Amino acid sequence: MKSRKLFVFMGAILALSIIMSACAPKVEEQAADVPTVVDESPAEVETITEPVMITYWHTMSDPETEQIEKVITAFEAANPGITVESTRFAWDDFKPALITGIAGDATPDTARMDIAWVSEFADQGALMQLDGVMPGFDDIADGTFSGPLSTNFWQGHYYGLPQNTNTQVLLWNKEIFDAAGITDAPATLDEFATVACELTKGETQYGYALGGTYFWAPAPIFYAMGGEVVDADITTASGYVNSEDSVAAFTMLTELFNQDCISPNLLGGGIGTADGHATGLYAMIVDGPWMVDIYKGNYPDFEVNFAPIPTGTDGSTSSVVGGEDVVIFEGTENADAAMKWAAFLLSEESQLTMAEVGVIPTLSSLIGNEALPDYFGVFLTQLETAQARVPHPAWSDMDNAINNAFQRMLNGDQTPQAALDQAAIEINALLQ
Amino acid sequence: MKKQTSQKLSRATTYFLLTVGLIIVALPFWYMLVTSLKPQSYIFEMPPKIWPTEITLNNYLTALRKDSFGLYFMNSLFVAICSTLATIFVSSMLAYAFARLDFPGKEFLFYILLLGMMIPPVMLIIPQFIIAKQLAILDKFIGLIVVYITMNLSGQTFLLRGFFEGIPKEIEEAALIDGASRWKIFWRIIFPLSKPGIAVVTIFTFLYSWDEFPWAHVAMKETTKRTLPIAIALFQSQHLTEWGQVFAASIVSLIPIVVVFIAFQRYFIQGISTTGIKG
Amino acid sequence: MELLLTKFVKILKKSSTALIFLLPGLLLFTVFIIVPMIYSFRISFYDWKIVNPEQSEWIGVENYLRALSDPIFRRAALNTVIYSLVTVPGQMILGLIVAVLLNQNIRGRTFYRIMYYLPVITSWVIVSLLFEYMFSGQAGLVNYFLRDVFHVTSENILWLADPILTFVPIHLLGIWKGIGWTAVIFVAGLQAIPQHLYEAAEVDGAGSKEKFFLITLPLLRPTTVYLLVVLTIGSLNAYISNLLITNGGNPMDLTHFILTLMYEATFTKLDFGYGSAISYLLTMCVFVVSVFQIRMMTKPIEN
Repeated sequence: MKSRKLFVFMGAILALSIIMSACAPKVEEQAADVPTVVDESPAEVETITEPVMITYWHTMSDPETEQIEKVITAFEAANPGITVESTRFAWDDFKPALITGIAGDATPDTARMDIAWVSEFADQGALMQLDGVMPGFDDIADGTFSGPLSTNFWQGHYYGLPQNTNTQVLLWNKEIFDAAGITDAPATLDEFATVACELTKGETQYGYALGGTYFWAPAPIFYAMGGEVVDADITTASGYVNSEDSVAAFTMLTELFNQDCISPNLLGGGIGTADGHATGLYAMIVDGPWMVDIYKGNYPDFEVNFAPIPTGTDGSTSSVVGGEDVVIFEGTENADAAMKWAAFLLSEESQLTMAEVGVIPTLSSLIGNEALPDYFGVFLTQLETAQARVPHPAWSDMDNAINNAFQRMLNGDQTPQAALDQAAIEINALLQ
Repeated sequence: MKKQTSQKLSRATTYFLLTVGLIIVALPFWYMLVTSLKPQSYIFEMPPKIWPTEITLNNYLTALRKDSFGLYFMNSLFVAICSTLATIFVSSMLAYAFARLDFPGKEFLFYILLLGMMIPPVMLIIPQFIIAKQLAILDKFIGLIVVYITMNLSGQTFLLRGFFEGIPKEIEEAALIDGASRWKIFWRIIFPLSKPGIAVVTIFTFLYSWDEFPWAHVAMKETTKRTLPIAIALFQSQHLTEWGQVFAASIVSLIPIVVVFIAFQRYFIQGISTTGIKG
Repeated sequence: MELLLTKFVKILKKSSTALIFLLPGLLLFTVFIIVPMIYSFRISFYDWKIVNPEQSEWIGVENYLRALSDPIFRRAALNTVIYSLVTVPGQMILGLIVAVLLNQNIRGRTFYRIMYYLPVITSWVIVSLLFEYMFSGQAGLVNYFLRDVFHVTSENILWLADPILTFVPIHLLGIWKGIGWTAVIFVAGLQAIPQHLYEAAEVDGAGSKEKFFLITLPLLRPTTVYLLVVLTIGSLNAYISNLLITNGGNPMDLTHFILTLMYEATFTKLDFGYGSAISYLLTMCVFVVSVFQIRMMTKPIEN
């Protein structure tokens, strides 16, 4: 008898959830109706277009998601008849979702994807060529920073537009520095190495911490030391990834690690750099502009301090370019609307809206704009010298080769020279 | 007298061992609960504390408010209940055919069905996606439900076949002589006798459908129709994992399965001991 | 010809009832399992292009050969087999102990049962994250116990940084999560053993040790074999814990399982053909192992 009651109970829940989920689409339907009404208004007679809905996938954080909804509202107001449905994905699961979508011919119309992926997806033929197709492409492209724009270029064409850019700078915990009597962040990498060890106190405090061994983590120091992965034409890694400067960069990191001045967390399974830096475990980390809002949410009392990446032997600084591009997928049925949306994302208005939560714009016209947060200054300066990772479809494999080389050095299996020589061979194989 | 003391002793040992085991099994859950009550700045405190020093419900409040967590919860519940009911229906029919009816190729079909228990579901995702696209069931609850039924079919049919075989044939034979159809016999006689077996199927299928991630992740892109595991995955940010929120959401998501288990566990053991498992 | 047709109609008529019962299940099974299996089997012989499948190049068994000669794949296969060899007996032995304890007439049996079953009903994703967090090399709970409470080690152990130690949390997780389920099945098996056998043995003066080894264990054989088959399949097909804890084979691609390798090939490297070949290699192994084990299982019934 009890089981019958249970089935009734389950049935009741079922009914309730049917009602609940039936409600959700209804709200949407009503929302979708609104543009139709606008279309029918006499003012719009000229362009009677079918109302279209375009999809937009991304991996934004909570505050960014809130902002992009504002951008969407503005876009829909400016473009009656077009609605944008945005879907958010977890970072780790985004690529599988895109790949399955491509395989099943069910891609979104547009997406915001990592700059390092564009060439890979373009190479597969999954992305729509924008130059010569998208109205006003040249004007929009000309208005963006050239570094981020170049990440959309693959075999003679552009397959996206730089939606936002970023780079990593040095974050230094002022409290730790003050306690050691150091007044400012290190200016050169020599100083950096000294300070890192000076600020290390056994297991309770490390001078420096990296987020992992993937290239993104050591990249700022690697580039600042003059390291390179491949030649300018992307034909060989020999003499580049294992050049004197590249080896010197990894040697410095390996030595610091062996002296316990770098936290062991980079090998995996430790305290994350963001948490460790705010709690006073890591004196210095390198990270991006999003940290301001992340700290605001999780460590409201923590004061973030940024500084440029310390300069290498030749006195110049550098870092790695990050960011995302907006792309349109090949085969979209709403190409016109999608291009309008892409153009809108690169408008000053949308870029400024996103900037409120730490997203750095890609439009050169916005440099010096008063609406941008103050802390963007150090990032924008750093971006002038920051370098992009190799724009090549096999980049993720190259990244893995360097990652494994770095692991071998840290493990003491190989010297930095030997590990990078091996990485060069592996990367060369990928370039053929 | 001696026998009694030794019995008492063995009883004490039983409780002792069970409790030690319980502590080991439950410790991770306890730690999860404690962590879900800590603010982020205490997540990596050293030494880690088994007892929360500063209790906050903020993680729960933030997690539950995020991304229409409540809607996802109801979506999951809807999908899990539909998949469970449908699986009971489909697999019990299959199992009855394999247990009682004659048809050509029976054994061969049964082995093919068992193959379904062996393949890793993740290898089927892309082809399943392509098919689902052609059937126009992507981004719909039905798209999740039919795949969940299918992925559970082999295991549950295997269990129920064993269960049905354990029901004395005489009951059916009498009804057959009275002119009842197989269909009627199945629904009127066999099905009501199979509560324990169905309880087992219910627990397994509900659990599967409630926790399934890879398929739901690719097949449901419409934000308002996503299920709970996807909402939980979204708590892991690229730059910093909010462990307190992840665990708070996880604990809330555990509630329905615990309820289902508690509700059906009375039949569970009985069901298993009479299903196909014992051979 | 006509004879054949009438025969066919006759068979159809005879099995029409069966057909009604079979139809919904077999239809779903064909559409969502058989067809996808055939599809990915075909793909495993191609250098598959996901965007333009028609441009894919037939390369025969090259994907299979590539896997078999790849040291990363071999290491992954070894890791998978070791995982299976550790976690299957681990779950069975501990599960049997718990089952024997739970099968006695004790107070709070339901409570214990639910608590032991809790890990089973928690999703792999959640418990993997939980173990990753507990085995953190710096402020992890496990290191705290080993170092500060039990003083087993004087230094923090970097569990997830080492290609061997990484498997400690992965294996422990596999066992911990399965004990409850194994115990429940064993309890069911224990309850199916007729009580009078024990009573008769007691009359003959058998102690509890003899009763366990002479009655319980032999009569649990079908249950044991069932568990062996199901747990082996489960362990060979495990991947979520590894994917989350090793973050894709770290360090140095030494910690993959076969399925994490397949996942990486398919879902991050767009190498669908290679991924399919890997999953077929695994499926074939699982098939051979389970058929062997099922043979063992069905034998006593024929006798």
